[in-house]
Amino acid sequence: MLAKKAVGFTPALADSRWVKGLLIATALAFLLLFLVLPLVAVFVEALRRGTDAYWAALMEPDAVAAIKLTLIVAAIAVPMNLLFGVAASWCIAKFDFRGKDVLITLIDLPFSVSPVISGLIYVLLFGLHGLMGPFLKSQGIQIIFAVPGLVLATVFVTFPFVARELIPLMQEQGNEEEEAALVLGASGWQTFWRVTLPNIKWGLLYGVLLCNARAMGEFGAVSVVSGHIRGETNTMPLHVEILYNEYNLVAAFAVASVLAMLALVTLVVKSVLEWRFGAELAATRH
Amino acid sequence: MAIQVSGITKQFGSFRALDAVDLEVRSGELLALLGPSGSGKTTLLRIMAGLEFADSGSLLLNGEEALSLTPRERQVGFVFQHYALFRHMTVFENVAFGMKVRPRGQRPTSSEIKRRVMELLELVQLAHFADRYPAQLSGGQRQRVALARALAIEPKVLLLDEPFGALDAKVRKELRRWLRKLHEDIHITSVFVTHDQEEALELADRVVVMSQGRIEQVGSPAEVYDRPASAFVYEFLGQVNRFDCVVADGVARTANGALSIPADGTVRGPAIAYVRPHDLGLSPSAGGPGRVSGIHVVGPDARIEIDLAGLPLEAEMDRERLSALGLRLGDQCTVHIDRARVFPQP
Repeated sequence: MLAKKAVGFTPALADSRWVKGLLIATALAFLLLFLVLPLVAVFVEALRRGTDAYWAALMEPDAVAAIKLTLIVAAIAVPMNLLFGVAASWCIAKFDFRGKDVLITLIDLPFSVSPVISGLIYVLLFGLHGLMGPFLKSQGIQIIFAVPGLVLATVFVTFPFVARELIPLMQEQGNEEEEAALVLGASGWQTFWRVTLPNIKWGLLYGVLLCNARAMGEFGAVSVVSGHIRGETNTMPLHVEILYNEYNLVAAFAVASVLAMLALVTLVVKSVLEWRFGAELAATRH
Repeated sequence: MAIQVSGITKQFGSFRALDAVDLEVRSGELLALLGPSGSGKTTLLRIMAGLEFADSGSLLLNGEEALSLTPRERQVGFVFQHYALFRHMTVFENVAFGMKVRPRGQRPTSSEIKRRVMELLELVQLAHFADRYPAQLSGGQRQRVALARALAIEPKVLLLDEPFGALDAKVRKELRRWLRKLHEDIHITSVFVTHDQEEALELADRVVVMSQGRIEQVGSPAEVYDRPASAFVYEFLGQVNRFDCVVADGVARTANGALSIPADGTVRGPAIAYVRPHDLGLSPSAGGPGRVSGIHVVGPDARIEIDLAGLPLEAEMDRERLSALGLRLGDQCTVHIDRARVFPQP
């Protein structure tokens, strides 16, 4: 019965060029309206007063500090999540243990919890009046309204990206190649570096790119723990908001354009990799 | 190298995969572990390789206790059902892997590795494919690469887990013959797992029949086929007619009295009789108790279904014999049994 249906459907689909055209047009219009136009608007607004004003807005000390801080936070958070993500997906995909489902749900938690709440939790834990506040103060350690808080919030929010990308990939690939490597005399490390990692490298790279994009762009959680001290604890997204609230539109959009560029670069890198190594990618997923 | 398995037990949750298994694999032989799925044969093989842990028991490889050794220390070659080739490496790199991961002191030079890999690829007739990736090979070729890769570490034992299971019938047969020949050439102690009785009987020096985590019988292919130790072995090795009967005075009789079979002296009372289809003789007879209820011709063989006063039987003979007998659908016939086995009712 299924086969009959398929036979009936294929020519019907092939014939309806109108439907096809309409669907493509709808999709394109949607993309244009909601993705391309805002992106163009960012750059148009940023360059409204010319390139000099654009550069001046980016070179201003607070903006430079914000860009630096964003890079520092991402440079700490992304490698941490790379490590955690690989470790978590390794143990979920390659081993059977009690509470595996709970672990998978926990990994998804940052996706399901509002970032603002995750920021607040850190304030409640590490803030001056929080659970561990007095102890931290007595030790002279500041987490909230400082770089460690920003890193913690960012790590939490971006945790699922690498793991989510790797778990299905590793589950699909199974254990057999690792077992083969072990029987052939490879040590655990050799097996990881020579067999596991090459098999997941594209998924891993994609996960890291997404994780990085989010780490640099995160607003909600970071906003709660930052304290908005100009030139000190403002990341780029926070800086954009402050400038915008001060009606300094050119500067706001100038900084925003750097963030937008980052998104574009991520996208281009991903496409180039897929185009350049497409065949190999297909071979490893066969 | 000889393998000595004693009292190995393995439990998965509430399922007992292996129940105090004892087995000896002789040096240089090709041994088949044969059984239905869930009989524990693959678990036993994986325990030998060190890929699975036994709950208790002991495993001697060449007289040395091996259960505490890691897979790399055991130096066994393992061939997986689904090949498990490294998909991101070429055929050459796959075969070279085992030599390249050796500790620096024991690692052969790269020219030595190259020579050895090409020699092995020659052996499995795949020298032209050294630069291909596994995805570019057929199933039979992949399994041969897997075999070359396993042999590259000069293993003392070769363990094969359903090595032909994922191949189509024709390739399977070819590869089976080829493996038999290879074994005759290199004489490495080999154990292979299969659920295909034909494969086990054709390929192995000795066959181990397993069921529900226990060994039912160990013997040469002829022994297990001709003198099955249990009803399970009889039923598992080939087609069979099975009927309930009662044994008295050395004769087994079915309940409706349609069939009586000579039974050996040890069995008494309720029993089960087994007759292979090719041990069932038919002769046309107008007043005979049997009726031909179906005839199926498969190539040179014919399968004849008989209804013997309500008891369904199956006979097998070659096609020429059937046409010589002149039996047709609906004909009456008499049934005589050339050979049967009677086991006591469990």
